[in-house]
Amino acid sequence: MEFSFIEVIRRILAESGFAAFASQPRNLVMLIIACVLLYMGIGKKFEPLLLVPIAFGILMANFPLTGILDDGGLFKYFYFGVEHAIYPSIIFLGIGAMTDFGPLIARPSSLLLGAAAQFGIFTAFLLALALGFPAAVAAAIGVIGGADGPTAILTASKLAPNFLPAIAIAAYSYMALIPMIQPPLMRLLTTPKEREIKMEQLRTVSKTEKIMFPIAVAIFVILLIPDTAPLIGMLMLGNLFRECGVTDRLSDTAQNALCNIVTIFLGLSVGCKAIADTFLTWDTIKIILLGLLAFMLSTCGGLLLGKVMCKLTGGKINPLIGSAGVSAVPMAARVAQMEGQKANPSNFLLMHAMGPNVAGVIGSAVAAGFMIKVFGMG
Amino acid sequence: MGITELSLVEALLVALSGIVTVFIMLAVLCIMIPVISKVVSSIEGKSAPAPAAAPAAPAAAAPAPVPGGTYTGEVALLGCDEKTAAMVMAIVSHETGIPLDQLIFHKIKAL
Repeated sequence: MEFSFIEVIRRILAESGFAAFASQPRNLVMLIIACVLLYMGIGKKFEPLLLVPIAFGILMANFPLTGILDDGGLFKYFYFGVEHAIYPSIIFLGIGAMTDFGPLIARPSSLLLGAAAQFGIFTAFLLALALGFPAAVAAAIGVIGGADGPTAILTASKLAPNFLPAIAIAAYSYMALIPMIQPPLMRLLTTPKEREIKMEQLRTVSKTEKIMFPIAVAIFVILLIPDTAPLIGMLMLGNLFRECGVTDRLSDTAQNALCNIVTIFLGLSVGCKAIADTFLTWDTIKIILLGLLAFMLSTCGGLLLGKVMCKLTGGKINPLIGSAGVSAVPMAARVAQMEGQKANPSNFLLMHAMGPNVAGVIGSAVAAGFMIKVFGMG
Repeated sequence: MGITELSLVEALLVALSGIVTVFIMLAVLCIMIPVISKVVSSIEGKSAPAPAAAPAAPAAAAPAPVPGGTYTGEVALLGCDEKTAAMVMAIVSHETGIPLDQLIFHKIKAL
């Protein structure tokens, strides 16, 4: 056998990923997009815990010739957790363990604000249909308006798997951009006098009430809409771990270690589906724009019902807390707090806004369950 | 097999029934929560023993505000002296930006 060093080098280069870019130039574009997302996650700190693994997943999935997505490839197995709704459900377990439903129990009317802030889901669904998306895909796009990443991912994995990366990236990007998207709408839809309203202190919620709440919600909601079982069931289980007082170790694991581990797999799995052929399309741009619109309309829905409740209660409810109904815990509640304090420095809306905020998590899960029930493949 | 194509009317009906479903679901929860709270409070009310004696810690008088600017009322200090309580009240006022004459402290308890 004749050995030629030059020939070996030539063959290595010819069979390398670099050479493959000549036939797959779109993959190079995806690598650039991945690097931009990495910059946004690391440099700008936009939801870095998810954006960094998602961006790196995109990077890995678009290296030519790796076979990482083929049968037997690593990401094929990672994606199993998204395909079967395992990761979003476990993330919900963690969210439940981190969430204090006390403000919601103290003021149950917050639930209505959480419902109104799902308005964007259904209007974006209609707009997506008008733009020519199939009904199931339109439903998955609409759920971006719930401002709840795991819910959007779960719905997309069931109704629009090919659009999952675009939907997930849109959902998490807008969640990170809440402090920029919501305040102009809040100022547009409320008067300075309304923003100044100071709300009465919430009553103290007993331990027993907090323990009974997740059990009652799980029984009622899941019995009525069984498709919400993965999300609502795990959310309430996580909350029960937190509140029951005898499972502190489980609560700690759900909030920290487990949630972090699953976040890595979820991010990578979502990113690995963003391959050039399905991602670099006009549909992705439409989804990004529809997601923004859905988000804004949901914020408006919450604010408008907040105004109605303000009128009905004789000015006891600050309408700003309605904007927190878009899930995105606790970012949306913080934005309501900041805007309230800008209008009146002695205003403390954070705990009041946490009620609609956690109600939004339940509301978006119910809306997603409804969409899956209507458009699911059975 | 689920729905793949919708007419305009069908799409509007889906959107409307979706938002109505969400509202009904959360409205029922909104009604359910006070019922649970009432049941819990009645159970706790029945099972709770007669009000226990106040904690042994001294309840020292401390400034509590009224809108007129004068200071009145009492704050219970549980395991904490007056000097520490004054510091806590000053810190809370400073951190929250609320003047002391607009803050009411019911009790301060050492943890």
